[in-house]
Amino acid sequence: MDFSQLEDIDGCRWSWLVWPWSRLDATRCVVPFGCMYTPLRQLPQMPPLLPYEPVTCRGASCQAVLNPYCRIDVRSKIWVCPFCMQRNALPAHYADISETNLPAELIPNFTTVEYALPRQPAPPPVFLFVLDTCLREDELAVAKEYIVKSLALLPPEAYVGLITFGQNVHVHVLADAECSRAYVLKGEKEYTTQRISELLSLGFAGGRGVATSTGMSAGGAPNKPTETSTAYGAARFLQPLSESEFILTSLLENTKPDPWPVPAQERARRATCTALSIAVGLLENSHANFGARIELLVGGPCTVEPGKVAGLKLDDILRSHNDIEKEQAPYVKKALAAYEAIAARAVNAGHTIDIWACALDQVGLYEMKSCVDRTAGMFVLAESFNHPMFKRSFEMFFARDENDHLMLHSQASLDVLTSREMKVAGCIGPVASLNKASQYVSQELEIGIGGTSAWRLCSIDPATTLGVYFEIVNNHNTPMPEGQYRYVQFITKYQHSSGQYRERVSTLAGRWADGSSLADIGSGFDQEAAAVLMARMAVYKTENEEAFDILRWLDRMLIRLCARFADYQKDEPESFNLSANFSLYPQFMFNLRRSQFLQVFNSSPDETAYYRSYLNRENTLNGLLMIQPTVMSYTLGAPPVPVLLDITSVKKDAILILDTFFFIIVFCGSTIAQWRKAGYHNDPNHENFRNLLQAPQDDAAAVLDERFPYARYIEADEGGSQARFLLAKLNPSVNHHSANGGYGAGESFVFTDDVSLGVFMEHLKKLAVASQ
Amino acid sequence: MFLGLDNAGKTTLMHVLRDDKVAVHAPTQHPTTEEVVIGKVRFRVSDLGGHRAARELWASYYTSVDAIIFMVDAADRERFPEVKKELDQLLADEALADVPFLIFGNKIDLQEAAPEDELRHALGLIHLTTGKGTTTTKDIRPIEIFMCSVGRKMGISEGFEWLNNNLSI
Repeated sequence: MDFSQLEDIDGCRWSWLVWPWSRLDATRCVVPFGCMYTPLRQLPQMPPLLPYEPVTCRGASCQAVLNPYCRIDVRSKIWVCPFCMQRNALPAHYADISETNLPAELIPNFTTVEYALPRQPAPPPVFLFVLDTCLREDELAVAKEYIVKSLALLPPEAYVGLITFGQNVHVHVLADAECSRAYVLKGEKEYTTQRISELLSLGFAGGRGVATSTGMSAGGAPNKPTETSTAYGAARFLQPLSESEFILTSLLENTKPDPWPVPAQERARRATCTALSIAVGLLENSHANFGARIELLVGGPCTVEPGKVAGLKLDDILRSHNDIEKEQAPYVKKALAAYEAIAARAVNAGHTIDIWACALDQVGLYEMKSCVDRTAGMFVLAESFNHPMFKRSFEMFFARDENDHLMLHSQASLDVLTSREMKVAGCIGPVASLNKASQYVSQELEIGIGGTSAWRLCSIDPATTLGVYFEIVNNHNTPMPEGQYRYVQFITKYQHSSGQYRERVSTLAGRWADGSSLADIGSGFDQEAAAVLMARMAVYKTENEEAFDILRWLDRMLIRLCARFADYQKDEPESFNLSANFSLYPQFMFNLRRSQFLQVFNSSPDETAYYRSYLNRENTLNGLLMIQPTVMSYTLGAPPVPVLLDITSVKKDAILILDTFFFIIVFCGSTIAQWRKAGYHNDPNHENFRNLLQAPQDDAAAVLDERFPYARYIEADEGGSQARFLLAKLNPSVNHHSANGGYGAGESFVFTDDVSLGVFMEHLKKLAVASQ
Repeated sequence: MFLGLDNAGKTTLMHVLRDDKVAVHAPTQHPTTEEVVIGKVRFRVSDLGGHRAARELWASYYTSVDAIIFMVDAADRERFPEVKKELDQLLADEALADVPFLIFGNKIDLQEAAPEDELRHALGLIHLTTGKGTTTTKDIRPIEIFMCSVGRKMGISEGFEWLNNNLSI
C-alpha cells in the first residue's frame, strides 16, 4: 500500500490503518495507534473554498461537522451524525439537495474540505521585531539589513513594530515621524501585563510612561513625556508597514550597538527575557486573539534576571547537558520558569515567538524553548548573522503563496472528535493544550500533551504537522458488529494571513479487524509514520526521563513488535523474517537510537532543543529524513542512485550526497577528489567528469532552495576534516576492529566502537524469537 | 580545555575519557563541557570547535582554565603551519602565561603520521618543552608533547600523568 498517496487525500498518515476492535488486542500491537496529521497540507483533490458556515451536529456536546460519512435522507432532509448517532434536520438552505445534487462537503471524494467563514476579516498580522543590540557592529549591521529587507517582503498592510534591547529595553514609537522617540524600560525587572500597559500608556486610562529621545536614552536621565496626540495607545508602537516603512528604516539605520561598556572577561548585559516579556505585553494589550508574531534576533545569552542563562563573568561558562543532568546549572530552573511564564501569556493571546539565534556559542534556546515550541514558532540557529543559514532562512520565512498571501497563518485550534470505541490520548507537536475535557478524551492513556481533545496552534503553515495519538477502549467482550467503521474528525479553525477566518474539516474512516488476524492488521502498518510517531514520543519523554531509560524503552517496544508480527520458529533466530511492511522499521529504530535526538554527546543543550523542535513540527517524510538521512551516489556513466546509509557506500570513484534535513553534504571519494585537485574537470576532454562534479551540486542546491530552515551546506573529500559530517551518520558495518585492523588498503571503515546495524539485528532476532 | 584545529581528535578524546568508547563525531559546533576523571583528578573539560570561525571563541574560555590540552593531527602535515600559528598565539597569550600545555600528537596509528621529533620541529617547540619527567620546574610554564592514538587508546595516559604532575592545584 502506498501510504504517501493516502496522505494526499486528507493530509494524514496512520501508524496502523486497520485497527483491532478490542482494547486488549490493541495493547498487543505495541506501536501506538496514531497519525501524523498536516492540517493545512495542500491537497490536490480538495474542492475550492466553501464560502459558508459548516453545518454542525446538534447532539449534546458533539459539534461534529456534516461530512460524507453522514447518513442522509434526502427526502426527509435528515442527517445522522456518525459520531453520536444524533438525527439532525438539514438547514433550510439545503432544501434542494438530492442524490445527484450534493453540497461539496457531502461528496464522497471530499473527505477534507475548507470553509471560508462569512465573517468580518481579522486585522492584518503584526510583526514585532525584537533586536539584540549587544552585537558586534558588523553582526548588528547584517541583522538590521535583513529586517529592512523583510519589510519589502511583507504585505504593506501588515503591522510592524520595533523593540531593541541591550541592558535596557527600548520600545520605539513609530507614529511620530518628526522626532524619534522610545520608551526605555529597565532590563533587570519583571513586568506584568498590567504594568507594561501602564508604563507604555497603552490604555487610555494608562499611567505615565517614560519617554526619552533615542539618542540619549541609554545613559541620560529620562525626560518627562511630551504629551502629544500620540501619547497613548499601542498604535504608536505598531503601525501599518505602508505608513511606517520610512520611519522604521531610519530607526534601524540609527540603531547602534548597546553603549554600556563590557569589561574584559565579561559578557554584555543582555536583557533578552525582559525584552520578550515587554514584546508579549505590548501585543497582549493590543492584539489579543488576532495574528501577531514576535521576531527575536539575538546574538548571545541573556545575562540579566529573570531569564538569565549565564553569569556576567566569562569564566562562568554556559551550562552543558552534563551540568543540567547533575543539577549543576544554577540559572536553569529559574530561567525555564521565566520563559514558560512568557510562553503561557503568548499562548493565551494566541501569539507566536520566532527566535533567530546567531552566535558561535549558545544563547539559551534550551531555556527559551517553551516560547517557541508552545507558540508554534520557529528556531533558526546559525553561527553568525552573516551565515546563509540566517540570511536565506530569513528571506524564505516571508515567502508568499500563489495568491500572494503569506503562508504563516495564525490563531489556529485543532479539535479532534472520535467514534465511541476510541479516545484521544494526546498530541505531540507545536501546540498548547486548550484543556477541553470532552467525552473524546482518554481517561487512562496520555501520550504527549493529553487530557484534552483540543489544542491551540498560535501559528500554522502548510507544513505544520501534528502527531495525534489514540486509545482503543472497546471491551474485549463486546465484539464490533460487522461493517462498523471508526471515525475521526479533525476540525482546524484559523485566521488566514489574508484576514479571512477559515475552518478545515477532515473526516477519516477506518476499518476494524479481529485482533487475532495479524496479517490483516499488519497489512496496514505504515512503518515510516510509525517510526516518526515513536520518535516524537521518545523525544517527548526526554523532558522527564533519563536517556538510558528511553533507549531501553525503544528497544523493548521494538522487540515486542517483532515478536508479535514477524514470522519465526520459537528460539530459532535464523528463521526470523519480517514482511515488507515491517522490514525497514528496525533500521529506523537503530538510527533513531543513534540520532542527535537521543544522543546528546557533542551537542549543546541549545542544539538539542533546536533539533527536537523540528522533529516535532515537520511531516512524516522530513521526520524520517532527520532520523535516517538519505544517501545518493553519483558515478561516471550512470544515473544517480540511492544507496544505503552505510560505510560500504563510500567508494573512491563515487560522489555521495547525504541529506539529514539539517545539513547536506556533498562528499567526493578519494579518486574523484584527486582528479578534481588535478583540474581534470577543466580539461575539455573530460566533460563527463565535469558533469559528474556538477550534478550533485545542482541537486543539492535544488534541495536547499526548498528547505526551511536553510540547511547547512558542506563539501568534503574522503579523509578530510568535513567528511566527519558523513561518517558520523553512516552505519559502521566495517570498523577499525573488523577491517583488517584498519591497516589494510582499499576498504573504507569507520573508527568506532559503536554497534553496527548487523549486530543490532542479530540481537533483535535472538530476543524476538525467545520464548517468553 | 581541549583546543586544536578541526579534525585533530578533541571530541573523540573527550568521548574516550568519558565513556571509554571510540566513535566518529560530526565537527563540534557549540562548545560542550563534560566531567571526566583522569588519573585521580576530576576535570571539567571544555571541548571547543576547531574550525576557523569557532576559534574566535577560544579566548572567551581562557579565563579560569587550569590546563590546555592542545590536539594536533600528526598525520596532516599540510596543516602544520596553521597549527603552529594557532599554538604560537595561545603560548603568547598573557591570560595563559602560567597554564601548562599538554600537546598531543594524535593519529600515530596512521602510517603517514609525523614522528615526535618532526612534530616538535614543525611546531617550533625544540627548546620550549620542559621535559617529560615528573619533577616540576619552578616558575616555568610546563609544555610537553606526547604522541598518541586516541582511536587505538594509546599514549593518552602518559600525557595525562605528566599533566597531573605539572598542575598547580
